[in-house]
Amino acid sequence: MRLFSGQRAWVVQRLSALLILFLLVLGGGWLLFGPPLDYARWHAFATGVHGGPVVVLLFAALCAHAWVGMRDIVLDYLQPRALRLAVLSAIAVVLFAVMVRVLLSLAAHFSLGP
Amino acid sequence: MKLSIYRFNPETGEPPRMQDYALAPEASDKKLLDLLMRLRTVDDSLSFRRSCREGICGSDAMNINGRNGLACLTALEGLKEPVVLRPLPGFPVIRDLIVDMTQFFAHYRSIKPWLIGEEPPPERERLQSPAERERLDGLYECILCACCSAFCPSYWWNPDKFIGPSGLLQAYRFIADSRDTATAERLDFLDDVYRLYRCRTIMNCTEVCPKGLSPSHAIERIRIALLKRSS
Amino acid sequence: MARPARPLPVFLNLFRIRFPVGAIASIAHRVAGVLLFLALPPLALGLDASLRSEAGFEAMRELLAGPWRGLLGLVLVWAAAHHLLAGIRHLLMDVGVGSGLAQARASARAVLVAAVLVALVFVAGWLA
Repeated sequence: MRLFSGQRAWVVQRLSALLILFLLVLGGGWLLFGPPLDYARWHAFATGVHGGPVVVLLFAALCAHAWVGMRDIVLDYLQPRALRLAVLSAIAVVLFAVMVRVLLSLAAHFSLGP
Repeated sequence: MKLSIYRFNPETGEPPRMQDYALAPEASDKKLLDLLMRLRTVDDSLSFRRSCREGICGSDAMNINGRNGLACLTALEGLKEPVVLRPLPGFPVIRDLIVDMTQFFAHYRSIKPWLIGEEPPPERERLQSPAERERLDGLYECILCACCSAFCPSYWWNPDKFIGPSGLLQAYRFIADSRDTATAERLDFLDDVYRLYRCRTIMNCTEVCPKGLSPSHAIERIRIALLKRSS
Repeated sequence: MARPARPLPVFLNLFRIRFPVGAIASIAHRVAGVLLFLALPPLALGLDASLRSEAGFEAMRELLAGPWRGLLGLVLVWAAAHHLLAGIRHLLMDVGVGSGLAQARASARAVLVAAVLVALVFVAGWLA
């Protein structure tokens, strides 16, 4: 795939969508059919060595997907170069901040065992 | 029948306005174009393009009661009144229902709508099996009326950069042609965040094509061809 | 002509255009996407609060049961449901499932209705 093709963004959007769908189905199943969620169970999962990466993966997919979607909106409706750059930068900053927030949260509470 | 028609005269400097008409169709008037031609005997300043009157030249494309279509193929029976006629959305209006098709044709030209075959040309025909010929069905029939592109929101927002459903359908007509050897170059050209990838599969194009074609399906096939090429 | 030409008018009054059901589903998909994007930062903050302490976790649970659940909850659940269902519709159409006009119209209508129903059911359950 060419580096700056239009295809790459479209593929990222589709792949991240599939990943989000998969994780939501898993998560939804866990919530619906697993034991009721309390702080202890939630904390153990999200900060565990298996659950942590899953949470990060979900947010990474959400941010990548959101980036492609929002960028499409900007490319559609905003023509002036400066305005477009400003808005895209703002969106990028927000998504970057979301990822940083998630990574910091999990790192702060990361545990290697129960 | 009652009509409300978009009027714009570039020579007066006035903004566009809607003008009401009332006219009784004759028994022989079956299509909207028949009525419009009769209307010109009452008001000959009313301007619109028309030619074949049988849905093959694509000249009389316009927005009819909110949807794009050909006046010569739109039946008068069952047509909601007042019949509201406006020019194709998103296209610069030259006069009344006549729009500037320059950008639309430029996109068509840009996808190289001609066969790029093997050189030197074969001694006799460039042969094609019936199955290979069938792949062109639903693609070659485009009459370049612009009903589709003028109903596509993505084309409205970026008419200069997005090729639009008609151009993309035509592009695929050549990509799908077994006799064409420039497939890789054609796909390369389309692989761009604007040219092809403004399409959001809204499918407004397929909804209004007067020839029953599906530009959205052609675009889907181009995407698949691009995926196959890069894997 | 010596004087520069005036720009030609363009008819693009969206209120005068009769959109097919697929177009409605499509713009709703976009609007829902923007709403979900706006919900991402609060979601990340909520994740942090829920992990910080038991009190934080309970606070997040309270938030979901709080006065927000009315209108805001309805809108966010609708956004998530519509974006998800419309997204699945797009993924299926990508591989050729339901991309014919009649099927596409039917699936667009189904997605629009289902998303509203899901939102109403969720909120009804919430409020009960």
